[in-house]
Amino acid sequence: MRLSGGLIDRGQTLKFRWNDTWLKGHAGDTLASALVANDVKLVGRSFKYHRPRGIFSAGAEEPNALVQLRKGAAQEPNTRATVAELYEGLTATSQNHRGSLAWDLMSANDLLSPFLSAGFYYKTFMWPRAFWEKIYEPVIRASAGLGSLSGKADPDLYDHGYLHCDLLVIGAGPAGLTAARTAAQSGLRVIIADEDFLPGGRLNSETYEVDGQDGPGWAAATASELQGMDNVRLMTRTTVYGSFDSGVYGALERMTDHLADSGSKPRQVLWRIYAKRALLAAGATERSIAFGNNDRPGLMLSGAVRTYANRFAASPGQRVAVFTNNDDGWRTAQDLTAKGVTIAALIDTRADAPDSDDFRVYKGRAVADTKGRRGLKSITLENGTQVECDALAIAGGWSPNVHLTCHHRGRPVWREDIAAFVPGTDLPPGMSVAGAANGAMTLAAALKSGHEAARTIASDLGHAARGTLPQASDEQFAITPFWHVKSSKARAWVDLQNDVTTKDIKQSHTEGFRAVEHLKRYTTLGMATDQGKTSNVLGLAIMAEASGKSIPETGTTIFRPPYTPVPIGALAGRARGKDFRPFRLTPSHKWAKENGADFVETGMWLRAQWFKRPGEKGWRDSVDREVEMTRSGVGICDVTTLGKIDIQGRDAAEFLNRIYANPFAKVPVGKVRYGLMLREDGVCYDDGTTARLSENHFVMTTTTANAVTVFRNMEFARQCLWPDLDVHLISTTDGWAQFAVAGPKSRALLQKVVDIDLSNEAFPFMACGECKAFGTPARLFRISFSGELAYEIAVPARYGDSMIRALMQAGEEFDAVPYGTEALGVMRIEKGHAAGNELTGQTTAHQLGMGKMVSLKKDAIGTVLSQRPEMIRDDDLRLVGFKPVDKGAKLDAGAHFLTKGDPEDMAHDQGWMTSVAYSPELGHSIGLGYLKRGADRMGEVVRAYDPVRGKDTAVEVCSAHHIDPEGERQRG
Amino acid sequence: MADITLTAAPILGLDLTLGANTLRERDDLALVSVATPQGGEDALAKALKAGFKLAMPEPTRSTQAGDTHAIRTAADQMLLVFPHDGPDANTMVQGKLKGAGYTTDQTDVWVVIEASGPDTLAALERLCPLDLHDSAFPVGASARTVMEHMGAMILRMDADRFLLLSASSSAGSFAHALETSYKNVI
Amino acid sequence: MLINHPLLGPRDAAEFVVKGDAALIGRPDGMTASPQEMHDYAYLRDNPAGTHRELWYHEQGDRSWLVVTRDTLTHEVLDVALARDVARAEGRSR
Repeated sequence: MRLSGGLIDRGQTLKFRWNDTWLKGHAGDTLASALVANDVKLVGRSFKYHRPRGIFSAGAEEPNALVQLRKGAAQEPNTRATVAELYEGLTATSQNHRGSLAWDLMSANDLLSPFLSAGFYYKTFMWPRAFWEKIYEPVIRASAGLGSLSGKADPDLYDHGYLHCDLLVIGAGPAGLTAARTAAQSGLRVIIADEDFLPGGRLNSETYEVDGQDGPGWAAATASELQGMDNVRLMTRTTVYGSFDSGVYGALERMTDHLADSGSKPRQVLWRIYAKRALLAAGATERSIAFGNNDRPGLMLSGAVRTYANRFAASPGQRVAVFTNNDDGWRTAQDLTAKGVTIAALIDTRADAPDSDDFRVYKGRAVADTKGRRGLKSITLENGTQVECDALAIAGGWSPNVHLTCHHRGRPVWREDIAAFVPGTDLPPGMSVAGAANGAMTLAAALKSGHEAARTIASDLGHAARGTLPQASDEQFAITPFWHVKSSKARAWVDLQNDVTTKDIKQSHTEGFRAVEHLKRYTTLGMATDQGKTSNVLGLAIMAEASGKSIPETGTTIFRPPYTPVPIGALAGRARGKDFRPFRLTPSHKWAKENGADFVETGMWLRAQWFKRPGEKGWRDSVDREVEMTRSGVGICDVTTLGKIDIQGRDAAEFLNRIYANPFAKVPVGKVRYGLMLREDGVCYDDGTTARLSENHFVMTTTTANAVTVFRNMEFARQCLWPDLDVHLISTTDGWAQFAVAGPKSRALLQKVVDIDLSNEAFPFMACGECKAFGTPARLFRISFSGELAYEIAVPARYGDSMIRALMQAGEEFDAVPYGTEALGVMRIEKGHAAGNELTGQTTAHQLGMGKMVSLKKDAIGTVLSQRPEMIRDDDLRLVGFKPVDKGAKLDAGAHFLTKGDPEDMAHDQGWMTSVAYSPELGHSIGLGYLKRGADRMGEVVRAYDPVRGKDTAVEVCSAHHIDPEGERQRG
Repeated sequence: MADITLTAAPILGLDLTLGANTLRERDDLALVSVATPQGGEDALAKALKAGFKLAMPEPTRSTQAGDTHAIRTAADQMLLVFPHDGPDANTMVQGKLKGAGYTTDQTDVWVVIEASGPDTLAALERLCPLDLHDSAFPVGASARTVMEHMGAMILRMDADRFLLLSASSSAGSFAHALETSYKNVI
Repeated sequence: MLINHPLLGPRDAAEFVVKGDAALIGRPDGMTASPQEMHDYAYLRDNPAGTHRELWYHEQGDRSWLVVTRDTLTHEVLDVALARDVARAEGRSR
């Protein structure tokens, strides 16, 4: 029911939909507070037994009130109603029930509870083995989980960001606000973050005064003061969910979750906060007491009842009972009384509890059982006394929120005087803790610890500490630990979210799962979305009791990130769909698109795969035509994607001589040389051509895939291995639009383009030089990947689009054709050039037939280990060519070779096919592959055995150079 | 082929107004890297002074003389940024340095985007892992880092004006990332 | 994790690529090393739980190779130096 007062805006009424009903709340409400105000008690069903459950808390610790928010694709399951801000038109539905919430068909599980105790899954689904996949898994899957996903793509936007500060204050309660103000006044750059939309923490839930102002008023004034300071960033709706290395914190800011319409802005931003220091002022969380049927709707933590009454002006009942082991429960009774709510009784486990004129007090008593299936009707004390009430506030004591102190494996320590774990001394570097999170459980103590912590941090960072300590009085805070009511006959819940009862914990002890970590895994205590915020301490106290140990001896599990759930969408940020990674486009991309190109992703590059012409039915038509026209005339291909590295320095030649396995020291100026790169273990990892433009200036090309790795390795060599060589590297991959011009008519075409003599005498095979192309400075290389007479010509990338158009125009008279990566691949297979398929990471120079290229007269990376006996065996695999005996047969890469007559097993494996293509020139399928002693088996017919595709093809071993084995074309 | 000539095109032709902010491709700027020969630090410093009136840039602080900026890009390498038209920027720099440094034309390697306006810092918070606060990254500060998985250089020209450089091949993705950042914050 | 770059100050580890044991600086001379020595260099690495000297490359930064002394248990970075300086101090030159 709605009370008077509170921090809600009664001028703004908001309609929202709960299951099938439209209800009303106010601005400033959470979904939970609005439900409380509307007397909605039953909000969900429990995980295992499908017990009716109500709202249990008023914050992030909520174990019960998990709901599905919004509709359609935007639907989000397992959202805590206690932290969901109300907005006009909000739609929420309850979850984990079949049929209606009130009549859940799965509640039959509750009757089966004797069979569903701790370790149920481990014991039950063991046998028979045949049931595993067909019966058990579907059953478990159907009953597992709580809410359900929409199954549609998330329509919301998410973003990432980076923030920097001297001090990150985590939590904007009394300690955090004071600390932030003190630090900011001392000149620090401060970020203060709180998960709530209203700064103030418990001040908004209590009836305290600070500096003569009421608590919420002081919090609002302080927050506003902070907001006005240039060196402060106050972030509400922001959960700092993890502490990572070197003072890096993860935070999730909910930007538009509280709005009906996001306005096309990101829903949430995942911040990476770099903080020189951090102050954890995350407060404390109240815990429950275990007694019979302590899970009914209407049972709520005592502090939460105060939050609903004081902040949200809502009461969970009209006759409220209080069950407490400490002074906190008394405040609830007093505050409710002041608000006009009837206190049915206050049950204090302490025999020395005080008296009250306002309500009935039972001292030294405990609640043993409750009644009311879908809402509390009465409670029964141990002595049989029955008290009628429709809500019960439970005050089991407060546990400091130590979570982030554990993220670097810090272990909390037990403090007997407050019956709680507090942060230990092994905090994450740069972190300190203040307020209730550090065990300062009263208001004055919290303010003082926040203020002093901030002063210390300011001094540590070299600032003169300033600021004043806000004044408040210390409230009563005394507790006598009391964990569970032993005389309760009915099931007593410890962990509401996972349906773990006192019996499960005792059973875990009996069956030998006594260490806290085993207890957690065996019973699932403290798992799932709430991570046991209200239940962990209770659970291990009961375990301690069962094992006759103290709580410090029993110890506690520790926490890892995230503090509260972080949506996968927020972790992904913008990296979805086409924004998953950047695209790299070649300079001729626009032209290629205009000319019918199909593109293929090679790494981040989009490359033209082939250029479809009218009438061509499939890709093979286009590719065959491109190959034929290139080999008979001239073809043009954008090869910009090849890595290009500018290498300069007095020792550049010497450096390259150590990077490449073959000799490089004496490459003449104006010449290009093919180079083979080995890893230090002697395996080939990249190849390419390097041109010497002048005495101290080379331009290297790498494969598209290895451009980054090669650059990195060369930097390593120049900085770490030979630090005094004068050699300098810089990437120019994107700087030059480079085109291969290949085919017998390439010279004729290019002679129209460039201003230098291209005759074979003036510009022979493997020549290079600077020139002008259509009047623009260019570089020309006479190299060939296709085996044809060929050149590569490069112009600054800004001229690339103009260049391809100009080349095509100049090539019209030669019927010049653009070709894509597929035709490029066909021609390199026809020519027998190794590429990615052949360079497997295990390939030796010997296997490529390049063993003799490796120079033993110099020290290059990989030379020594490339000469190990196993890597130069004569009977090793060798790269050779293959052609089908039946010329109509299509070859497949991946087929394994078998000698005729041998059985099909691994012991007789002779190698495998690496690359295949249809050769338009030869008119049949061809292949490259590794074959044992391949070089000595020319003409032999072997089987290309392919059990995956069910094929077995007779192939003849031939030279890898399927066409022009003498290389006459490229030299012509 | 006297009848065909090549024309230079900007990479994106980017010129966007986003609220009170602008994103503009600066294709009027040339970029030339200069590597310091081993043992040639002093000679290069002198040549830079003589040729461009520029001091050698420190690792996190650029130097400026007129319209020319020098950004330190590696322990033994800097990048000169200056207005220039035509493909001969490298030749021009070589002429001025007279062999004191190893130069490479980088104009076409990078896209240069000038981002300016009151929301620029907020937009960059969503992209740039570096601390761009005045105290850490004042006018003239420069750095090389990564934004949205793309390598990038950043140079602060003014309180709310930055030059951002990223690979020219992925310029479209980089501009898209910048534009998204502005849209997300304004 | 942050790495305090000797020239640039603290930078996020996301800008770096890690290679591992800094002993890789000590490459034997291929003209005089035995295959066994070169084998040990190429394959044998220390990987201690505790203080370790590692090579990190500032790929999305100034392209410096760094020697980072780091506690592999706590990720605490104890010392950072330019690998080129370390290499020279270890007697490497040309």
